[in-house]
Amino acid sequence: MNNIDRLIKEKIERELQANTRRHFIKNCVTGMGGLALGSFFMSCNSFGSKNGNGKIALTERDVNPLASLAPPFPAKVKSVIYLHMAGAPSQLEMFDYKPALQKLDGQLTPQSMLEGKKFAFIRGTPKLLGPQAEFKQEGESGNWVSNFLPHFSKVVDEVAFLKAVNTDQFNHGPAQLFMQTGSPRLGRPSIGSWVTYGLGSENQNLPGFVVLTSGGKTPDAGKSVWGSGFLPSVYQGVQCRSKGDPVLYIEDPKGISRDLKKNTIDAINKINKEEFNKYSDPEILARINQYEMAYRMQTAVPEIMNINNEPEHIKEMYGVQPGKESFANNCLLARKLVEDGVRFVQLYDWGWDSHGTDHGTAVDLGLRNKCTEIDRPMSALLLDLKQRGLLDETLVVWGGEFGRTPMQENREGQEMAYKGRDHHGDAFTMWMAGGGIKKGASHGVTDEIGYSALEGKVSVHDVHATILHLLGFNHEQFTFDFQGRPFRLTDVEGHVINEILA
Amino acid sequence: MEVIQQLIGRLHPVVVHLPIGFIITGLLLQWYDRKEKQLTNIIALVFLWGFIAAIIACISGYCLYLGEGYAFDTVALHLWSGVFTALFSLLMFLRLKEVFEKNFLKRLPIVMLSFSLLFLISITGHLGGNITHGSDYLTEPLPQNIKSFLGIRVETYEMPVLQEDNWEEAFLYEDVVQPILNNKCVSCHNPKKDKGELQLDGENGILTGGENGAVLKPNDPDNSSLYTRLVLPLDHEDHMPPKDKTQLTKEEIKIIKTWIANNNNFDKKIGELGLQRELFAAFFPKTNKSLYPKARVAEASKDSIVALKNKGLHIEPISMDNNFLKVSCTNSPLFGDEDIKSLAPVIKQTVYLDLGDTKITDDVFEVISQFPNLTVLKLDNTDITGKGIEKLKGLEHLTILNLTDTGFKEEYLSVLSSVKQLKTIYLYNTPLAETNVDKIIEGTHYNFGNYKLPIMATDTIVY
Repeated sequence: MNNIDRLIKEKIERELQANTRRHFIKNCVTGMGGLALGSFFMSCNSFGSKNGNGKIALTERDVNPLASLAPPFPAKVKSVIYLHMAGAPSQLEMFDYKPALQKLDGQLTPQSMLEGKKFAFIRGTPKLLGPQAEFKQEGESGNWVSNFLPHFSKVVDEVAFLKAVNTDQFNHGPAQLFMQTGSPRLGRPSIGSWVTYGLGSENQNLPGFVVLTSGGKTPDAGKSVWGSGFLPSVYQGVQCRSKGDPVLYIEDPKGISRDLKKNTIDAINKINKEEFNKYSDPEILARINQYEMAYRMQTAVPEIMNINNEPEHIKEMYGVQPGKESFANNCLLARKLVEDGVRFVQLYDWGWDSHGTDHGTAVDLGLRNKCTEIDRPMSALLLDLKQRGLLDETLVVWGGEFGRTPMQENREGQEMAYKGRDHHGDAFTMWMAGGGIKKGASHGVTDEIGYSALEGKVSVHDVHATILHLLGFNHEQFTFDFQGRPFRLTDVEGHVINEILA
Repeated sequence: MEVIQQLIGRLHPVVVHLPIGFIITGLLLQWYDRKEKQLTNIIALVFLWGFIAAIIACISGYCLYLGEGYAFDTVALHLWSGVFTALFSLLMFLRLKEVFEKNFLKRLPIVMLSFSLLFLISITGHLGGNITHGSDYLTEPLPQNIKSFLGIRVETYEMPVLQEDNWEEAFLYEDVVQPILNNKCVSCHNPKKDKGELQLDGENGILTGGENGAVLKPNDPDNSSLYTRLVLPLDHEDHMPPKDKTQLTKEEIKIIKTWIANNNNFDKKIGELGLQRELFAAFFPKTNKSLYPKARVAEASKDSIVALKNKGLHIEPISMDNNFLKVSCTNSPLFGDEDIKSLAPVIKQTVYLDLGDTKITDDVFEVISQFPNLTVLKLDNTDITGKGIEKLKGLEHLTILNLTDTGFKEEYLSVLSSVKQLKTIYLYNTPLAETNVDKIIEGTHYNFGNYKLPIMATDTIVY
């Protein structure tokens, strides 16, 4: 026996020594586990239910992940339009009237108010800044609205205010994520994703969750604010544009006719069907369905995204600017989408970060222009939904990611040329309108200068719980299993805000 | 380690039956052998086993207490009586075996030991049962009169309820405040169990206060511990009710505060005190706000629903716990008068019918009139003119009718007004809308829309 043979023999013996009886048994066990595991997967289901012809019984959702589902409880509304003012609008110039703050204008902020507080830009001791708008009690409800929103003050009786919403985030990205996903960190599904996951979509030619942006920029937190997090990605928001192609790459490439496209998809689907007959994997059916839906969307989406066909008086009421990207266009689109059975329409309008660093971000100048931009469209949206009988079954939510300080911002401790306010999450205003909402209600009271909540403080989780409640969910039971535990939009918190419910 | 501790703990409910068995056997044998005294050795052995089993039960019981997070107060009595059971079992063994010559044990009468053990084993078992099943578990099935005869408090958890027509006539203290206290406080603060020497079951007790003095300062809720303790943070030691008990609701706390602020008056009516209805909103009976009929219907056959879905109709129950259906033609714009007949299998279940944006005409009313539970009917964006709309009269649940964007004619409006049950009718973008404004006639809201937002000078100003 030569050396090489001896070495090989030694190697084999070593291996055998290493592979003890214990290993053998261990391997056997793993194998058994594998067999058991196999039966958990539907595609190789050897013990599970089968229907008569030997095929596996599929639910509608296996085939079409957007198939609509009944809510657990009778719902007040079937759709949501969420108007998010990215950058955080100043409640003190719009809805939260603080005459006492006017008297204190220009005075130094007492130290007791600053202790233990963190601000994004305020340093040292800032001065208080009185409201830069004039307020009046409007409508039968007598709720306060500023002269920055003259049209909205005519429809104020339709909405219910939350005057003391609280968030623990004071930077845009995390605060927007918190407001839209229930967590300031990445990875959780947005409200719209939860809702489309839970209810699906009524219109099978349109996405269930549409996102429209205006103001020149998308939210600071990026596309994660309409992401699906740990939910299947089919539930993420679909961003539609009011300028150019409504959805990117929705047009057929040059030289490809509609018929050719149809033939292509038919051929692919035929192959996929054969594949499904062989393996019975429901994912294949879902894919077939997605191809077909994409094909239908190619005609349905450009059609619905076209606002030119709307009558003149409607365009005038919203103040639309066809061909441009504007909040007014998006409001009109939101109505059209909801009318056609889209479940969740999310609007983002950028440009509300009124720090007072320049003309555009001054609370008495730029903010006023921003208010003019949204005043007519959002008022028109409420009225238009109402006259079409849609406001009864739609929930409209308005708000930012936080509010603003009663103090004037003093970036780096310097007095600034324009009047601005810093980020502030202790107490800010949001409103809701639509089905199940108590018209003209106002819940929550802030202190004399609008710095913190005195009564009726509600959290972001409470807002989410209320939205889900109106859609027919118990937010504590609406869960998705992920990383070994059930997750909720409200996680472990949230109480439905009954005070604003009819 | 914690796993083992928990496991041992959870064996407690099984293990506890061993000492009970041994000790009862021992006692029965003693009774049987009371004259002959032949079995003393065997009886001693039984009590030795009783002791060993009791020790095991004590250890497992302690593990259970650690693992399940009981408060020590809850288990203390059970724990100590268990330990004493074990000790007495050992004493009995030593007494019977006469292991030690000339010791104090000899002076103990066996009968006393026997009775003590019987008492201990019963009381330990009962206390243990109370911990797992609740203290009223045993007495709960007794009839009310026997309960009150035995002096067991009959707890009445009835929320105070006010009525729309006479809420001002209700007494603030008697009809609202005391029921709240009864529900949330009296179970610990009553003459039998006056924790903190406080009794909240009636006027006298409330005015007397507890070990820390008065709980009320008239007109000053912020200095009345009856109120301030309710609003302390839940984790605060002095917060009431204790963390693990049912808490007062926000509305109830507000009532207590208002009552104290109104001189904690014991015999005035709500109306006399001039309080707002809003304050009591939570105490009015909940009305059924659901739009849809209260009656329940049988489930529609699954096959017929699938068949309708395959035709492209959107059809879903209004909620998972309800058989009523919502039917919509969102995805079938070609739906026509003939197609509606295909809804026959779900005719009873359909409460919401959206025929908007389809090819239906006035002929559709004939079929629609046969949907007995129909509540919401949407006919918007169709060629409906209103001819035959009187057929809807028989639909007793019909509440919302949407005729937006149709050719609905003025002449049928009077017919429509005879459909009394309707609450809202949408008539925007019909020939009528131009000349009419929103109005409410006999409880029916006629919504003509056509809302305008007039041009304002500020619309175009740029600051």
